[in-house]
Amino acid sequence: MFGQQVVSGLAAGSLYALTAVAVVVVFRNTRTINLAQGDIGMIGAFLALLFIKHWQMNYYAAMALAVVACMALGVLIERTVMRRIANADWLTLFTATLGVFYILHGVAGWVWGRDTKAFPVPFDPTPVEILGTVVSFGHLTNMVWAAVIGLLLFMFFRYTKQGIAMRAVTDDPETARLMGIPVPSIVTLTWAMAGFLAAFAGILIAPIVYVSPQMMDEILIKGYVAAVFGGLYSIPGAILGALMIGVAENLAGGYLGSQFKTATAFVLIVALLAIRPQGLLGVQTRRVI
Amino acid sequence: MSESRRLGVRGPLPGVPQSGTASVRDAERKRAAIASLQAGFRRQNIFLVASLFLTAALAPALPFVEDWMSMQASLVIIYILAAQGVSILTGQTGLVTVGHGGFLAIGAYTSALLAKYFAVDLSLSIVAGAVMAGLIGCLLGLIFLRLAGAFMAIGTLGFAFFIGTIVNNVPIFEGRDGIQMPHSRIFGMLLGDTGFYYVALAVLALTTAFVYILLRSPVGRAFRALRDSEKAAESSGVNRLFYRTLAFTTSAALTGIAGVLNANITGYVSAETYGDIWYSVDFLVATVVGGSSALMGPFVGGAFIVMVPFYLEQLADFAFILKGVVLILVLQFAPAGVCDVIAKPFRDLRRKQLQRIQDDVEKTSPPALAALFSRGRQ
Amino acid sequence: MTHISCQGVTVKFGGIIACSELALSVAEGKIYGLIGPNGAGKTTLFNVLSRFQNCDSGSVYFRGDCIDCKRPHDMVRLGISRTFQNINLFSAQSTLENILVGAHRLAGNPFANMFALPSARKNQRMLLARAHEVAELLRLENHLEVPVRNLPYGHQKRVELARALASEPEVILLDEPVAGCNSQEVEELKDFVRVINKELGITVLLVEHDMSMVMEICDYIYVINFGANLAEGTPAEIRKNPKVIAAYLGEEE
Repeated sequence: MFGQQVVSGLAAGSLYALTAVAVVVVFRNTRTINLAQGDIGMIGAFLALLFIKHWQMNYYAAMALAVVACMALGVLIERTVMRRIANADWLTLFTATLGVFYILHGVAGWVWGRDTKAFPVPFDPTPVEILGTVVSFGHLTNMVWAAVIGLLLFMFFRYTKQGIAMRAVTDDPETARLMGIPVPSIVTLTWAMAGFLAAFAGILIAPIVYVSPQMMDEILIKGYVAAVFGGLYSIPGAILGALMIGVAENLAGGYLGSQFKTATAFVLIVALLAIRPQGLLGVQTRRVI
Repeated sequence: MSESRRLGVRGPLPGVPQSGTASVRDAERKRAAIASLQAGFRRQNIFLVASLFLTAALAPALPFVEDWMSMQASLVIIYILAAQGVSILTGQTGLVTVGHGGFLAIGAYTSALLAKYFAVDLSLSIVAGAVMAGLIGCLLGLIFLRLAGAFMAIGTLGFAFFIGTIVNNVPIFEGRDGIQMPHSRIFGMLLGDTGFYYVALAVLALTTAFVYILLRSPVGRAFRALRDSEKAAESSGVNRLFYRTLAFTTSAALTGIAGVLNANITGYVSAETYGDIWYSVDFLVATVVGGSSALMGPFVGGAFIVMVPFYLEQLADFAFILKGVVLILVLQFAPAGVCDVIAKPFRDLRRKQLQRIQDDVEKTSPPALAALFSRGRQ
Repeated sequence: MTHISCQGVTVKFGGIIACSELALSVAEGKIYGLIGPNGAGKTTLFNVLSRFQNCDSGSVYFRGDCIDCKRPHDMVRLGISRTFQNINLFSAQSTLENILVGAHRLAGNPFANMFALPSARKNQRMLLARAHEVAELLRLENHLEVPVRNLPYGHQKRVELARALASEPEVILLDEPVAGCNSQEVEELKDFVRVINKELGITVLLVEHDMSMVMEICDYIYVINFGANLAEGTPAEIRKNPKVIAAYLGEEE
């Protein structure tokens, strides 16, 4: 039982990690807490469902198309909403994403309705046995997807020109600008990446939580909690945090009762911020003028 | 500083040039003129707000006003109250909260439980809700003492979800089934829609007066100092722990009162409404759209947030879209809020009036302040 | 007679030693200066004295009592005010509001203030009068309603000083009061500091790079370099001190 909980926790955590990493990347590059992160994924899930159900597309093709659509959505948000207020204080930026959050919720509710819909999976859902524990195939695939995406991100940041440029912008936007890095395009790229990650987060979790306008609300906050583990700055920290949340809540749910499952993340965040305000792996700033 | 007090100074001080009393009297006259002008501005403000309340009080008597409007107006008042709470914390003290729905829930459930098990009068419920929410707000302020900015927003968001989880799962709150409230009584009298409206209006008048006094007091000044520069505030003697916690407490108490009224007007509390984030984000939107640091900001914002879904009733999803669009437009074009835009022409006018007096003031030499610093130096 | 002092102050940031066994002692009613080349540790020491920074060893004393345990906001209650090197005003707020915050110590019981009790209202009138007087002393009475970010830099420095004065301090710590000022503003601020010290009897400790100011108005000067005491004495003595000259090596005017 323990093993099972841990594995499903890791699986859930890997999906939270997708959201958490996106939150961190957007925050690092643009000082924006993106409240719409989850909803972009929600739109992606709805679109994928549309492609599969009505356009009779293959699951993977639908997923690919939905990912592209979400990246476009991210860029659209950046261009229309965020660009104009790019230099404002972080509360303005945050509240703007809140506006996007409202809009996406409204659009989804209007176009597709507020009821929950099932989402198909492309594989046989019978459980598999690995290392003595029974694991759902879905959990496995989710973890694999998340790991692959994680690897892609890692390689992107380390080896591609754009990735390195992005890291430069994170560390020091002014110097990056002076060195000829086009910061606005990096910002656009950041939001495209947010869309990319959101799409996978939404589509992969859709079979579990069902598709609805509010499907990502709770996941979003868990993604935040995980991001805060990394001080809103460290990607490995966010991933670690996400995995910890996934495992902790599953264990709590399994051993204490399901009503404690959802509370775990929130207890964790309140406790964490109380004890270590800059996050577990965050940057410690000494109190100096 | 009047002439007679100056005469209390012991002789001319070395280094300070003797100034003719004429120029000093002139300066004093100018200062008095400025002070009275500003007092006039304040009276204008109070008059405006008082007229607003008077109009609101008389409105039910007007011919075209129907009964159901009372309920709608009460809802607006409730949102204004909640937004007042948010604006104290976010607008005045600079601590962003996306979790005030939690305090609304605390107030609502306090009232519901008291009404259900003890048949408590509304007046006591309001006090109890304020106290309960205030206590938890105080606790939250202490827990989040070292947080700022984005972390604070996320922490408060977590708090709101946490409260939501509690009301969903702890049996006494009856989760999604909810608690039916008996009819509200205030001071023994049964309340109908219009009666409730007057109660809400009276409460709003009291809280508005409270907020007005608070903002103009040294406490409000301390809040704003912490908002604008914590270091400078602390170096001026502002105790960060005390004032932050105080901000959280008063902010939570106000929203708790809104929660009590909300429970009573809908007659029903359940985890379905109080268990998610919509109240929290709505309150933040109301505060930001209205203007987070203006006294009237919550009024404008509260009205906006309630009336949009009301007018788009059948098209509830459009209400979401419209709220989002308006929010984004306000942020892009009027980031200080709608109130700021409305008030600007009046502010400019007043500034001109002040300038006209200021321009005439000629410079005076530094007066003898030593005698006025009461630490007993000469 | 010793108003504020410190002993054995050592501050380390990671591997870097900012202050090493620093000691200084300021006599009551005098103007003391703290100078040293860039990076000597002056601002760090200043932050230690005003309790914005904790030291790894050593202590700070006020009138002989150890004040290590005090937090920054306690300092005003003791009678110690400070200004900041890069002015730290509430930039969107008016001059008057900034000064009023400075007088926070005199504001009285917060709960009385919140509920506008009669004692509180009387207190607030007194507070306002005091703020006006401080403003007049620093010739800011014409700018009280202006948001401070619209003021010229020299005026902003004066508002910073006014805010520090508003609380009726016994000691003022001035962190580079004339940094970034033109020569006229420097002269004005020199006058104001002199008035504050001579007429109001306030003890002043200032950190400065501007030698004309330091030499002209200080009664006593401490020189530090590489985080340690280098020399101390009257301006005349310091001017001739070969160690000081060597340390500055051409920076002196």
